[in-house]
Amino acid sequence: MFFFGKKKTESEQKKTESAPKPDREELLKKASELIQKLEGVQDKKEKTALLNEIGSCFFQAKEQDQAIHYYEMSLEEDRQLGKAYTDLLKLYNQKRQAAAEAKDDAKLTEYMDKVQNLMQMSKDVIRGKI
Amino acid sequence: MVVLNFIINNILTQAAVVIGLIACLGLALQKKPAGTVVSGTLKTMLGFLVLSAGSSVIQSSLTFFGTAFNAAFHMKEGAVVASIEAINGQAMSDLGLGGEIAITLAGIFVVNVILARITKFKYIFLTGQALLWEATLCVVFAYFLGLSGLPLILIGSLVGGVFATLMPALAQPIMRQITGSDDIALGHLCTVGYIVSAMVAKVTGDKNKSAEDIQLPKSLEFLQDTYLSVMTVMIPFYLITAAFAGAEACAPFCGNTNHIVYAFLQALQFVTGLYVLMAGVRMLLAEIVPAFQGISMKLVPDSKPALDCPVLFPYAPNSVILGFVFTTIGSLIGMLISPIFGAFVIPGVMSNFFAGGTAGIFANQMGGRRGVVIGCIVHGIFIMILPAMLSPMLAQIGFVNVTCTDVDTIITGFFFMLIKSVVGFF
Repeated sequence: MFFFGKKKTESEQKKTESAPKPDREELLKKASELIQKLEGVQDKKEKTALLNEIGSCFFQAKEQDQAIHYYEMSLEEDRQLGKAYTDLLKLYNQKRQAAAEAKDDAKLTEYMDKVQNLMQMSKDVIRGKI
Repeated sequence: MVVLNFIINNILTQAAVVIGLIACLGLALQKKPAGTVVSGTLKTMLGFLVLSAGSSVIQSSLTFFGTAFNAAFHMKEGAVVASIEAINGQAMSDLGLGGEIAITLAGIFVVNVILARITKFKYIFLTGQALLWEATLCVVFAYFLGLSGLPLILIGSLVGGVFATLMPALAQPIMRQITGSDDIALGHLCTVGYIVSAMVAKVTGDKNKSAEDIQLPKSLEFLQDTYLSVMTVMIPFYLITAAFAGAEACAPFCGNTNHIVYAFLQALQFVTGLYVLMAGVRMLLAEIVPAFQGISMKLVPDSKPALDCPVLFPYAPNSVILGFVFTTIGSLIGMLISPIFGAFVIPGVMSNFFAGGTAGIFANQMGGRRGVVIGCIVHGIFIMILPAMLSPMLAQIGFVNVTCTDVDTIITGFFFMLIKSVVGFF
């Protein structure tokens, strides 16, 4: 839609182009270091932050199942609306699409239910139920 | 032949049976076990009957409110409560369009899938409730145009299917900016209102000063209980109306009971009716929607799912809260000016929350915090004016003191009226 389809400014384009892409091996290495660090952490806030960071590393490294695992752990620890939520939404949708292409009914239902649960969580958080 | 005629004339004319058969078809297509098919079919039929019961309770409460309001304020336009749920209830039970609405709901899924497959708009609309409201308005206005039977269902499905495909497409340019990707779409039929708030915000605001950078409470705790929130809005309206109407005007309804006490109880009755009706809607959709969702997703694997509005809340939680607050302010202004446009409209608190919150996210994306304030006040006024304009037509069709909320469904109504005017012209 033309009204909202503003082109990126030159500086914005340069910024996007110049942002360095993290190497997959590096991301996986960082994730494994963080997992080791996770074992000794008891503080809820610190643990959630670590889980989110691990999830993010796997997400960027395109390790979908691992990313989902750690992001889900993060939401179990603390049901908050943040990166874990928004990345999980993308991941569930990717898995849903893959299941639809593979005609895997069970997986399709599983990931659609997971998306519905995320939406319910978002309603509950905003309305102060969580 | 006698048996066949009996089935056609006495069983298939019953809306509950038709709705049950659609659920049965959906479950059978998913190859569910026989027990699940039978229980799902029966639960869907039960859902329709629960919905009808809730609708009757709402209608009797609104009949009292409407009469008292006319006696109190002598407004020739009358008062209507903005509730798409009550519209659905009255259409399905009192107007006898339940069967047609259910078949059109299934037809909308089919048209949506066909359009997603053959056009570049790959959106599959997954919000069942919103589609039920859209099916309701399509059937009601097609019926108002004089259509019935198969033509009514075909036209209703076509128009509803086009709306279900194009409305997510309309919101997608801003959705891409909000979510930072093109993975998901918005399946909530208040899209035109969101675009209005975004346009106003773009003109009046500054997107560099985001509402997300300020400190706000993280949640709206007073909205924890949906029905309690609706009650806090309805009770004052009923009490003020009864006080102005006086005991004599209310006497045909309340008999020996004090008219203020009666009005208080009728406000609670409205909420009770809404509670029962929504329980029915959930039961009715619980089997139908997942069946068709699964089928749609498999038929168009590269589709973008159009999801309900809470999916956006985590991207801008402050904007949700500000959007609700300023849409409510706007809707109160809209309520005061609504008689000019056709009826005095009482706003719906829950639609203000969901539509207002989402409008806040759109406005913030285009115009920052100032955009949210101005855009959402305009949005609040807009979502009051449109229902006011539609209410004379709804009254003519037979709806009692009620109007729609979701603006895209209202635009569907206007679209049908436009067709009626054009056809009438020739």
